[in-house]
Amino acid sequence: MNLTQTNPNFFKSIFNGRNAVIAIPYIWLLLLFLLPFIYVLKISFAETIYARPPYSSLLIWGDSWLPSIKASFDNYLFLFSDSLYIKAYLSSLKIAFISTILTLIIGYSIAYSVARAPNRWRGILLMLVILPFWTSFLIRVYAWIGILKTEGLLNLALMSIGIIEKPLMIMNTDLAVYIGIIYSYLPFMILPLYANLEKMDMSLLEAAADLGCRPFKAFWTVTIPLSIPGIMAGCFLVFIPVMGEFVIPDLLGGSETLMIGKVLWTEFFYNRDWPVASAVAILLLAILVVPIMLYQRSQEKAIS
Amino acid sequence: MSENIQFSPWLDSSQKPYIQIQNVTKKFGEFTAIDNLTLDIYKNEFFSLLGPSGCGKTTLLRMLAGFEKITQGKILLDGEDISEIPPHLRPINMMFQSYALFPHMTVEKNIAFGLKQDNLPTNEINQRVEEMLELVELTDFANRKPNQLSGGQSQRVALARSLAKRPKLLLLDEPLGALDKRLREQTQFELMDIQEKLEVTFVIVTHDQEEAMTVSSRIGVMDSGNLVQVATPAEIYEAPINKDVADFIGDVNILKGIYKGQNEVGTQLLSEDSNSIVFATQEVGASIEDEMWFAIRPEKLEISKTIPSHNHNILKGKIEDIAYGGSFSTYHVKLDNGRILKAIRANRERTKEHHLTWNDEVYLQWAPHSAVVLLS
Repeated sequence: MNLTQTNPNFFKSIFNGRNAVIAIPYIWLLLLFLLPFIYVLKISFAETIYARPPYSSLLIWGDSWLPSIKASFDNYLFLFSDSLYIKAYLSSLKIAFISTILTLIIGYSIAYSVARAPNRWRGILLMLVILPFWTSFLIRVYAWIGILKTEGLLNLALMSIGIIEKPLMIMNTDLAVYIGIIYSYLPFMILPLYANLEKMDMSLLEAAADLGCRPFKAFWTVTIPLSIPGIMAGCFLVFIPVMGEFVIPDLLGGSETLMIGKVLWTEFFYNRDWPVASAVAILLLAILVVPIMLYQRSQEKAIS
Repeated sequence: MSENIQFSPWLDSSQKPYIQIQNVTKKFGEFTAIDNLTLDIYKNEFFSLLGPSGCGKTTLLRMLAGFEKITQGKILLDGEDISEIPPHLRPINMMFQSYALFPHMTVEKNIAFGLKQDNLPTNEINQRVEEMLELVELTDFANRKPNQLSGGQSQRVALARSLAKRPKLLLLDEPLGALDKRLREQTQFELMDIQEKLEVTFVIVTHDQEEAMTVSSRIGVMDSGNLVQVATPAEIYEAPINKDVADFIGDVNILKGIYKGQNEVGTQLLSEDSNSIVFATQEVGASIEDEMWFAIRPEKLEISKTIPSHNHNILKGKIEDIAYGGSFSTYHVKLDNGRILKAIRANRERTKEHHLTWNDEVYLQWAPHSAVVLLS
């Protein structure tokens, strides 16, 4: 074997068209996910200092020709010593869980009625589900302030038709956060559910009816079990991002609404404690690894 | 066989029909799928609805199951009007063309599904499921999921599921359509055995005329929303009511003729193709010079190279094509006027040399009782 001859072939075999195409997502993930992640991970082991950037360096170049590593777990330990963080994580879990369930109930009924609508209506109905994406997420959340605030549209409407006398205090409560989350994440629930329900074989429901099953029972024994892949996909697509949600609790929630995304923002921009903020982010990711992996597995199962 | 009684309740006026379809019409918007159809089906019949796609046979079956609402008319089962009863309350089960097995349930659970809806005690459900699994020989597959079954196995699970509730009437929508030929033929006999054993009335929809011929007690040939002929397979084959039925069931040569009256042999027709007189034993009510047709099945045409001794029912032609089918050969014979007729001859002798070959001048002849005269 001659090296000078094998080398060009070797490079050719690596830089062929197929590999180049496959490389794009890998490079994307490497640059926009893995590198920032390593950077944040690095900061989470550092100490806060008054400097620019406001954290200590991980590698100390001393007298010897090898740098010494100066990493500490103090930031992580701090998260467990102050009950605020644990409470924020738990509160985020609770809010994410409850809003996922509520979104599922609302989303399922919408997805179901769209999937069972006459063919010519389906495209339009689905369009209406996706339509809000044309407006910025932030603006849509701001719009809810206008609806929910004390002298907002909702209260004015309810008072003018005489259902209530005093305005409802929804704004700056957990309820407002739930409304905002459910509204914002509903399409992420509807779309996978619709995709699943739409392709369901209707003769299965006829078979169930033929075998003596009432329509309502057939829904629970046939439709629901067969839509589990769609339910799983929708729930994870809602649960995972809601867990780290910051904008909605910040704009619609009150001071008592505790979510880890908000804590993270406060640490980072208000306290300028980058190392602790990074530790909060890493721990959040660690918590989310479990549902992400469950989601992956359910998707693989659905494919096979 | 100890019993050799022909099963033909439709000929017995004392028998009450089990299913009565009375002047049923079904419209989908402007389109009339079933047009004022009346049909009686008797207990323990194996009745086939046969017809080209779009003839309304599936719609009729779905109306029996209750999936389609009747626009006009009514359907009676065992004397009871079931027209308004929803599908889940009808004592009728259906085997779906796609089988419609529940993919999230095992074979066992699929079969038990209908029984569970009736809230039967668990041990009875288990016992019935066991029986059904034995009936379709799938006991070893009880815990498989539908996606782990072959086409033939799925078909049998679907059959077992639809029979588990011991329905008064079983509807089968193209039950063997997805199976390959060999399996289909085998399953046809299994279906007949099961039907006899369980004494269930079967109504089957099929577009496969061979299948209908094999399994049925009677066949209802449908076209554009109505029944064209209802008769036993042999009657349909040997005495079709018109050209369409003759053409749809089996292979046939249909020739045009002019009515020339009756004589001692039977009906005399002037064949347009041979320009000679042909005889048919069947009597028809028609007037001289009326246009009509006579149909001869290929296996009833005798093909030979020698000139027959008599001078009627003969057509002369040349062999254009030979399709060797193993047990028989089909000869395509081109008449002088260019028309091609089919004649089938059984290959009785084991020989590679056949006396007839391409371009041979041949004579086709048939007995007067072998042709059917058709007025339309």
